[in-house]
Amino acid sequence: MTEGAGNGAAAIRVEEVSHQYLPARGRPVLALDRVSLEVREREFLALLGPSGCGKSTLLYLIGGFLPIGAGRIEVGGRAVTEPGPDRGIVFQHFALFPWKTVRENVMYGLAKQGLAKDEQARRAQEFIDLVKLTGFEDSYPAQLSGGMKQRAALARTLAIDPQILLMDEPFGALDAQTRILMQEELLSIWQRRRKTVVFVTHDVQEAVYLAERVAVMSARPGRIKEIVDCRFSLSGPALFKSPEFVERVDHVWNLVRGEAIAAQGGSA
Amino acid sequence: MARVATGRAHDLVGATLWSVVQSGSIIVVLIGWELLARSGLFTAFLLPTLSSVLARVVEDATSGLLFFDLAVTLYRAVLGFAIAAVAGIALGILIARIPAIHWLFDPIVSIGFPMPKVAFLPVFMLWFGVYDFSKISMIVFNAIFPVIAATVAGTQGVDKHLVWSARSLGAKPGEILREIILPAALPQILTGLQVALPTALIVAIVTEIIMGGDGLGASMIRASRYADSPGVFAGIVEIAAAGWLVIKGVEWLRRRLLVWHQETQGLATM
Ligand SMILES: Nc1ncnc2c1ncn2[C@@H]1O[C@H](COP(=O)(O)OP(=O)(O)O)[C@@H](O)[C@H]1O
Ligand SMILES: [Mg+2]
Repeated sequence: MTEGAGNGAAAIRVEEVSHQYLPARGRPVLALDRVSLEVREREFLALLGPSGCGKSTLLYLIGGFLPIGAGRIEVGGRAVTEPGPDRGIVFQHFALFPWKTVRENVMYGLAKQGLAKDEQARRAQEFIDLVKLTGFEDSYPAQLSGGMKQRAALARTLAIDPQILLMDEPFGALDAQTRILMQEELLSIWQRRRKTVVFVTHDVQEAVYLAERVAVMSARPGRIKEIVDCRFSLSGPALFKSPEFVERVDHVWNLVRGEAIAAQGGSA
Repeated sequence: MARVATGRAHDLVGATLWSVVQSGSIIVVLIGWELLARSGLFTAFLLPTLSSVLARVVEDATSGLLFFDLAVTLYRAVLGFAIAAVAGIALGILIARIPAIHWLFDPIVSIGFPMPKVAFLPVFMLWFGVYDFSKISMIVFNAIFPVIAATVAGTQGVDKHLVWSARSLGAKPGEILREIILPAALPQILTGLQVALPTALIVAIVTEIIMGGDGLGASMIRASRYADSPGVFAGIVEIAAAGWLVIKGVEWLRRRLLVWHQETQGLATM
């Protein structure tokens, strides 16, 4: 395994995990085939791979949303059996509760922690401010743009202060400009709050830019093909033009391209 | 935001205009009725004038008979509807969540939903007689199917990501039904209830017409037996008015319950 990122200790350990979907009609789908992966504490790790390679499946298994059929997943040394507030999740399509306002959405998890009402409201406001949604506390999700919905979802997840942040293509549904803004905000939040982040994406540049390590997955059935170190001496916009960044993007691109072609052929 | 505001104003003007046009068409029909009745083409027995019918409605209202009949009919319809709503939602949830119950009830619901269930009326009369119990059972039997079907579809269609979000925010498995599934399925369940309520009213009147007893339907069929044609037509006007009030009431309730929903928000901005 590559050395470097994080502080060394494993926050998440995935050992020989396979997952098969059994659709009501049609043949079983082997989505993951004996995947092993270690995510270190406070590390920002990206899971990168062509569409359909099992990125979401792996993330959902870590989240405890899907039953683990074969293999073992440990979080903080304990086997994962069900979802829990130690692993916050952000979905591509936000999954906000549409019948709750932004404030009520953010307060949902705080109420589950047993905080007093005024403490819930205070903390909710703190995180609504953090994601720059001040003024939209009483809006319903249907009244918000895509970027604002994703901010609200992020606030809802961050408010319960999970050690681990699982993100499934969280910016995939956003337009390019909003996406760049959200990437910057996520990095700044991660730097300030130092959480372990597992970030699923199929965008090479996004992965190389955001993550400390990029785990490239092979086409279905998904396996970890290679883990690429993506920490750079530069940061900010200057990074995009630096030779080391361009070279790393190119390297990862070549890894992914072969798999994308395999995925196309495989699904035909 | 400004665009939303003008959009809303637009909608409001449009809605008002539309309701004038709609009630305009009703006024045209009513005037046509009066003219046709006065034209001499029909005898007053076949088609009494609107004015004589309205006079009868006013008479029924002042004598208190209208409100008595209305109260009896609404009591049966609303009680039957309420039982159908509670039992239908409960059964719908069980069908959606428990495979054995799904196996047992799903085919029954698929056959029963489209079937004209008034065909069972003679059976209900044989089994339960002609009094309130029989009438209300018939109403429940008719009104429960749309509620079950909507609840099953609504609860099964809930986005699993909502459930997962709640679980990872700390909700226990036992809290998911009440806190996530039901509110998420509420728009569809309400649509089922909106079908069930007029159904309950229709079946209440049909059972009254056939089984007698008091109520708007019973008064109409009595008037018909006595060849009291203004009385029959007055019954129709009264039933139409009662139906309209019930529908408007439910629409109002739906808007109150679904303030968060897109349909009440207008389109989302951006
Ligand atoms: N609920 C499901 N039932 C059957 N097959 C599924 C289901 N979810 C995902 N799959 C299949 O499993 C594979 C991996 O899916 P997923 O993890 O969503 O991939 P990714 O997130 O990388 O696009 C895909 O081939 C997909 O079609
Ligand atoms: Mg995915």
